[in-house]
Amino acid sequence: MTLKTRARSKFSRAFGNNFQDTLIIRLLYSRDIVALPSITKLVVSNIPDGVVLIKEIDDIVKVFQIANDEKIPVIPRLGGTSGFGGCLPYKKGVVIDLKGLKQEFLIDPGDLSVTVSSPYVFSDLQRSLNMQGFSLCSYPSSLYSGTIGGWFAQDGSGIGALKYGGSLDQVKEIEVVLPTGEIKNFSDEDKLSLFAGSQGTLGIITKLKLSVKFNTPLSYKACTYDSAKDLVVGLKSLNNLDIFSIWVMNPKQVALLNSTSDYALPERYLVIVSKEVNYKEEESEFYANFNQTIRENKGQILDDRYIKDIWKHRFRTFSLLKNTKTFLFGEAIIPIDKSDQYIKKIETFFNNQIQIEGTMISPEKLSLLYFVKEKDEISDIKTAMLFMKFYKIMKKVVKYKGHPYTTGLWFSGYYKHIYGNEQLLSYKAYKKSIDPKKICNPGKVISPRLKIFPLMKLKTALKLASEVIG
Amino acid sequence: MNSAHLLKVDILEIAQKCVYCGYCSVCPTFKELNWESNHPRGILEQVKMYFNEKYTKDVSKSLFDAIFSCTMCKACENICIVDLPLLQVWEQIRQEAFRRGRWSSDLLSIYDKVKATHNIFGLPHNDRLDWAELCGINLSRRIKRKAPVAFFIGCQASYSGKMAGIAESMVKILRKARVNFTVLGDEEWCCGAPIFLGGGYTVGTSLAKHNYEELKKLGVKKIVSTCAGCYRSFKIVYPKILGDDWDIEVVHASELIDELVDKKKIKLLNTIDEKITYKDPCELVRHCGLSEAPRSIIKKFPNVRYEELPSNREEALCCGGGGLLKINNPKLVSEVNTKLVSEIEYTEADIVVSCCPLCVDTIQQGVKEKKLGIKVLDLVELVKMSMEVKK
Ligand SMILES: Cc1cc2nc3c(=O)[nH]c(=O)nc-3n(C[C@H](O)[C@H](O)[C@H](O)COP(=O)(O)OP(=O)(O)OC[C@H]3O[C@@H](n4cnc5c(N)ncnc54)[C@H](O)[C@@H]3O)c2cc1C
Ligand code: SF4
Ligand code: SF4
Repeated sequence: MTLKTRARSKFSRAFGNNFQDTLIIRLLYSRDIVALPSITKLVVSNIPDGVVLIKEIDDIVKVFQIANDEKIPVIPRLGGTSGFGGCLPYKKGVVIDLKGLKQEFLIDPGDLSVTVSSPYVFSDLQRSLNMQGFSLCSYPSSLYSGTIGGWFAQDGSGIGALKYGGSLDQVKEIEVVLPTGEIKNFSDEDKLSLFAGSQGTLGIITKLKLSVKFNTPLSYKACTYDSAKDLVVGLKSLNNLDIFSIWVMNPKQVALLNSTSDYALPERYLVIVSKEVNYKEEESEFYANFNQTIRENKGQILDDRYIKDIWKHRFRTFSLLKNTKTFLFGEAIIPIDKSDQYIKKIETFFNNQIQIEGTMISPEKLSLLYFVKEKDEISDIKTAMLFMKFYKIMKKVVKYKGHPYTTGLWFSGYYKHIYGNEQLLSYKAYKKSIDPKKICNPGKVISPRLKIFPLMKLKTALKLASEVIG
Repeated sequence: MNSAHLLKVDILEIAQKCVYCGYCSVCPTFKELNWESNHPRGILEQVKMYFNEKYTKDVSKSLFDAIFSCTMCKACENICIVDLPLLQVWEQIRQEAFRRGRWSSDLLSIYDKVKATHNIFGLPHNDRLDWAELCGINLSRRIKRKAPVAFFIGCQASYSGKMAGIAESMVKILRKARVNFTVLGDEEWCCGAPIFLGGGYTVGTSLAKHNYEELKKLGVKKIVSTCAGCYRSFKIVYPKILGDDWDIEVVHASELIDELVDKKKIKLLNTIDEKITYKDPCELVRHCGLSEAPRSIIKKFPNVRYEELPSNREEALCCGGGGLLKINNPKLVSEVNTKLVSEIEYTEADIVVSCCPLCVDTIQQGVKEKKLGIKVLDLVELVKMSMEVKK
């Protein structure tokens, strides 16, 4: 028990068994996909004071009431699948777990949209839509664990984004509980842009209305390139083919896939392309255009036999971490023109011992996920050093006009690089107006001050540390 | 040789290999309870804490509570992105809870009943064939008779009056097909499934040995079961605990019936007018990979109207009745079951069939709670209906 008695009894009275603050519960809610080395405790108080399991919207209003009165941070959490620390406390507080929020699903076929509650996991949502002949337009590769609410709060992107855009392009309206306790609906572009990527710092998203499409079958093709430079030429050339998704692997990643599966893919830069096709002739036309484009643009076409069933693998990147006890990853978004240089930079930085996977999230941008894995657990110090190495290379992405995938905790302070100065100012002004006591997920988006050295911001500290240690 | 030790895994090592992707959030009980402590990845986190002296004392209650909220449906293991053998971990945690005296009194009572009376109901051996009398079947010429095939009736169908129709139907099918079969009568002991689910391999092995010896005495070459739990025990667990000694072919009733229909030993004559859907029992589909034989039979009913459940085969929803959850938390069973019943409703089927008495019982309860007019039958009951000449 770490909350003050008065605050604790307020939570207990309001939520009964849906409030828990045993040591074990607090520890269970102190991590996301990245297990933090204990050394980080020097800068981050990631163990919450308690957890409230939210069952209805009114519960969130009640949490904010208590939190405002007692000045306690409120940290929203859904699938906990992000690795950017967004759902972790920065200076303790109460985590609100929204997975128990009542599930709603209302499809509007005329408007090609669906209204769902934020805890909907993508695979469930996709199944519910498929049952009625519809499909999500784009979705993350964490299909079986990521939620629509968490995805939007991170301004996520993913498979299909090349054709339909990322989360912001899908979401038409949101229902939010503001830190003031007001329940509001927003459908204007300005507000939606502020909430996408806000990491729960502006309020708790409870419902979203998003575009859907008809469930059209996909057809796949693959090709390879000899170098990152050729890859970029190839990726640009594919832009004219109205592609649904483009998925890229570096040779090291292909080698790992080969060694952990029955595939025997050529260990070059691999590109897997999928396109929506409604009928046979459309598919034949796609094949012909694809083949011609690849041949004309330095690529080698891969026979279909090589990629049999590979589409199933699109949600299974993490399967490559089998028998691994330690792994660290980074994810950056980079303009396609600069991506070859950044890929080379990462590969050299990690002595070619780095796995890279990419997804085209728009005709101009490539999202790059890169990771290293270790068979055994490594010491806290070593993990911290590796973490700093990742930070160092991630921070370099800015030089290539790219940015970290999202802010969260670890890349708080990079909001300007992602959204520009104007939006940063709007964000700050809005945040001030709705969360004067700064209780809504502090430490995220805008870089917080260090608890041990308040003159310094977390971003500055991480930058310095990454230069020294990384 | 007793190779029960082969079932042991290093649970800490496995917990450390979890990459926390969260895919196992498909877990049907986690979906109801929602706390991270009930998430399979959260259970693994607690395993890590259990092995850390600093937390052992604090974590044991929440770890053991979580593990007994599990239906052993294997959805987590099936989806696990790094192929962790989660079911073995869950069994071992249950075993650890047993060693620490942390089983609930209800669970212990089941355990004691199986140990003492060799069935989950604590009823006498002699009552094992009462169902036959109840259904007007004379089995005297089959009991403990030498035969190549044994029909293993199972505790549910033997003792639970509600399930007697399953045993009756299977006997009628076997007779109609002129299969030379035997039943173990009062020497049929619980297959061990409820004990294995608790990780109790010592008692389970003694049950397995007994059944094995009885089957061998009768010269049995093939054992057929209508129960998904018994089938799993014979197919997956017995070979591990009895080793090479276990040389009896194991078939599920659906596999045998499908073969009998194909060989024209039985004919499915009567049309089933109602629309049918099929619920894959977790223990058949995810534990044993059996999904097609039941479908193949259903499709052979004349003019059948059949629709798959939206979640089918490997992705089938759990009914909530497995893993001893009915004893540990009946309310949770009903909550889990609600999702399955909604899917059944979605198909607009008039009959839902399954191949597991526990599923049938649980779904019947869910259908009754929702006041739906859907019939819930075991596949063998449906086969019997189609096979018998209409009066
Ligand atoms: C295997 C794997 C593959 C992935 N692939 C992709 C991918 O292709 N594309 C992609 O974009 N991401 C990907 N991710 C990252 C992540 O899974 C997604 O962004 C996901 O949608 C986040 O959802 P979540 O429910 O896990 O959110 P959480 O991790 O719980 O939360 C994310 C952020 O949102 C905030 N938040 C949570 N709920 C709310 C709410 N209701 N209101 C306001 N704020 C809230 C949290 O505080 C946190 O800051 C992947 C992750 C994994 C593990
Ligand atoms: S076996 Fe089923 S109920 Fe048990 S943890 Fe796995 S998914 Fe959940
Ligand atoms: S699916 Fe497997 S690796 Fe992923 S969180 Fe669950 S147990 Fe861990």
